[in-house]
Formats: sequence, C-alpha cells, structure tokens
Amino acid sequence: MSYTIPMGPYHPGLEEPYKLDMICEGETVRDAKLHVGFNFRGIEHLAETRNHVQVIALMERVCGICSNIHTLTLCQAMEKLTGLTPPPRAKYIRVIMAELERLHSHVLWAGIAAKLMGFKTMFMTCFALREQVMDLLQSISGNRVNYSMNRIGGVNRDIEDPQALLRMVDALEKEMVKTVIPIFTTSTTAISRCAGVGVLTHEKAVSLGVVGPVARASGVPQDLRKAAPYAAYEEMEFEVPVQPAGDVTARLLVRALEIMESCKILRQALTKLPPGELNAGESKISFATGTATARVEAPRGEVIYSVSWKEGSQKPARVHVRTPTFVNMPAIRFMVQEARLADTPLIQASIDPCYSCTDR
Amino acid sequence: MTKLETIPEELGVAGSWNEKGGVLWLTPGPLSLRDLAKTMNMVQARFITITATELPGEEGFRLEYHWDLDGTLLGFPFTIALGQAIDSIYDLCEAVDWIEREIHEGYAIDFTGRDYDPLMLRQGQKLGVNLRNTGAPDKPASGLLGQKEAE
Repeated sequence: MSYTIPMGPYHPGLEEPYKLDMICEGETVRDAKLHVGFNFRGIEHLAETRNHVQVIALMERVCGICSNIHTLTLCQAMEKLTGLTPPPRAKYIRVIMAELERLHSHVLWAGIAAKLMGFKTMFMTCFALREQVMDLLQSISGNRVNYSMNRIGGVNRDIEDPQALLRMVDALEKEMVKTVIPIFTTSTTAISRCAGVGVLTHEKAVSLGVVGPVARASGVPQDLRKAAPYAAYEEMEFEVPVQPAGDVTARLLVRALEIMESCKILRQALTKLPPGELNAGESKISFATGTATARVEAPRGEVIYSVSWKEGSQKPARVHVRTPTFVNMPAIRFMVQEARLADTPLIQASIDPCYSCTDR
Repeated sequence: MTKLETIPEELGVAGSWNEKGGVLWLTPGPLSLRDLAKTMNMVQARFITITATELPGEEGFRLEYHWDLDGTLLGFPFTIALGQAIDSIYDLCEAVDWIEREIHEGYAIDFTGRDYDPLMLRQGQKLGVNLRNTGAPDKPASGLLGQKEAE
C-alpha cells in the first residue's frame, strides 16, 4: 500500500519555503512531486519599473548567497547594449569576487550537508571557515550579503591590498586540505550517508539539462568559465572537476575539489591583478534598442540574463533570469525515487537548492 | 561541416546565423518549433530557457528559445498572436518542463499537447497575473490551478 507524505510547505529539514509530496511504500520513496513558488516575488516584472542603476540593486536581491553573480551577469548583458567594456583590472576584480562567492557558497553548503548527515561538529567547522571568507568579502566591499561591486562598465570598488587577501586564501586552503576534505571523503559518517544515495544518472542529467556541480557530479563536464569564458577567466588556469557516480558523494566531491580550484584561481587573479581604472568612466549611459544575453557560472551552475531595452527609455523592456536551481530542482524527483525516506532531506540539499532564486 | 552549419540545413532555412547581443540567432522560418527541437536533439544541444516577452499593444508575444551548443548560445525567435497557443516540446525535450509551466502561469500562454501541474507561483492564483501587462484572459486555469479556482 502506498501513502503520500507531504514535507513542507515550510520544509523541516531545509528550513525553506518548499514542498515535496512523497509517495512511499513502507520507508521507500516511489515517486515525488515538487511545489515551489510560496514566496514568489515577481522580480522580473519589478525590473521593468527600475532604471539602469536601480535594476542592479534589485537583481542583487534575487539571491542571498550568490548576489554578486546576479549583478555580474546583468551588467555583462547591459554592457552589450551600451557598448561599454570593463577595463582589465575590473575584469580581474569580477573574477576575485565570483570565486570568493563560490567559496563561501560551497563551504556553506558543506556545513548544511554535514548538519543533515547528523555531523554537527563538521557543520560548526564549515561555518567557522565560511566566516573567514565572509570577512574577506566584507573587507573588499564593506558588506556581507549584497556587495554592490558591479556596475555597467566595471566595478565600484578596488582591491587595495591583494597580498593580505592572498594570505587569507592560503590559510583557508590549508584548513580545507587539513580538515574538511579528508573528513568528508574518509569519515564513516559521511560515506555511509552519501555513497550510492540520490543517484542522478548521466543520461537523466543530460535529459533534464541540469547545470553546475549537479551536472558535473553526473559526469557532464560543462562549466561556462571554460566553455564560454567571461571577465578574465580566459587568463586563468584551472581544472573542472567531474565525477561520474551521480550520487551525493559525487556532488560533495565535486564541490570540495571546486573549492581547491577556486583557491587556485584566486591566487592567480590576486597575483596578476593589473593596474588601471576600475570602470569605463562613463558620464552618460545610452542603451541601443535590442536584446542582449549574458551567462555566468554561478556556484550552483549557469545563470542566464536576457535584457531587452528600447533606445531612449530609462527602464528595461524585459529582464528574464534563468537561475541554476530552476533547472536543477526537477532532478530531485528522480534522485529520491527508490531512496529511503530518511535520506531525502540530504538528497534534496545535495543539489544546493536556492529557493530565493527559484521564487525570484 | 560543423554541427552549427548543419542546423540551418536541417531546418531548411535559407538565411544564416546572425550574432547579436551575445547570441547566435536563426529565424526558423516556416518550420515548426517541434522540428527545431528534434534538430537540437540531433546535434546534442543543451536546452537552456525560453524568454517570453509581451509585445506592445495587442501584438501578442515573442518567445525566444535558447540552446547551448558546445559553449555557443543559440537563439530562435517565435512570435505568437494574442490568444494563440504554441506547440509544447516537453515530449521531445524534458528540460523544457518548468519554463513552459512558468510561462503558462506568468503570461497565460498555452503550450499545446501537454498537461500542467502548477508551479504554484501563488500571486493571484490566476493565469497571467504575475508577468503580463495587459489583462489576463478570463478563462480558467488548467490542472490543479483550475481546480482551485473552480472551488
């Protein structure tokens, strides 16, 4: 006999506005239905009422974790419509901010995953590490969540002491190598909760078009930083970690390895940070009529912004945002099929879902 | 011949790719959206999204379908008149599911050949409320959303 267990709309494990109706037989989940939109904000529609300065501040609030990525993608799209090109130093600062954001996002996820594994000591360790990254972001931008770094044609603030940031990156990487990665990859608690759990096959990952670490953990080697480089990524040397297994362990490993690659990119960008201006120094911005699209590899995967403008208008005609969680969330249905009920919170968390992005 | 070059040929389009705003655009001409989806499957392109835009006055909507082909962003524009439906490609491309549902709810555009479970974009509980500027059609929503309205 099957029965349905509703988990949500305030999800007890993830503490987010999201609902999963799970059809179970015994303690095995046979199928699931996802429900989102409980905090839908209509941000795309709101964007049509904002000018080119206000819209950046608005879109920074699409997500509380990868806020910088949203303004970066939006600015890159608007730069195509205005013809403004960021100077080299601004491109490097954009890379540094994007990689710091990836670090804090991945370490935050590792902490939440540890908590859902029942590994609370690890949760505390990860959050202490994340705090170091947040300190870095705050020292650059003055803010912990909405950094206000990007503008059309460049960035708003400089990185004044790259050497000090390098020392912090070194300390963070050392702690990751010494503590976090070995524990996640060798401890019985982590392995027993994650290995073979919540599998998304390569075929299903391709069919669903999942992105980011979720795709890479199912053997899909896609990363826009390599495939379609933006900012200064073309000048950085790094690997794209890919794992074939498609389970929670694979998603954990991909993110752990990406933390190391982010440290590698940060070290290069901070060492090679070129001198020069921070932005195009425009006094007046004029938009050409048309639509421009930009894509960026956010911590959770590909973000795409499509911006339409009419020449002479103060406001965009249309701003469309496709966030990574919007494409990754449908995969949860297939990950939880045949899983144990007790594993489902961890499986759901393993895609690093962002409900704020989904309910944009 | 590259995969990119085979696409216009497969679609029977006389024109070629036009780069604009970071996208390689191709106007599919008289061929159907479903033929396009089959061609994208054939070249193993990755579906990304549909951008729906409401056109001024009562001109209808522009739907821009995007795929990624080995790091290149492809765009295919389709225009539909107000009240006109467009084919769903959900049976050909599983990744399109949520965005078709979102556009159905946000703009009250029907994608024929599929059923909808609502994405539960709760504002208003009525199709077209969230993103559409002109008045949403006074017709019941399909699926669970419609049942809720009927209640």
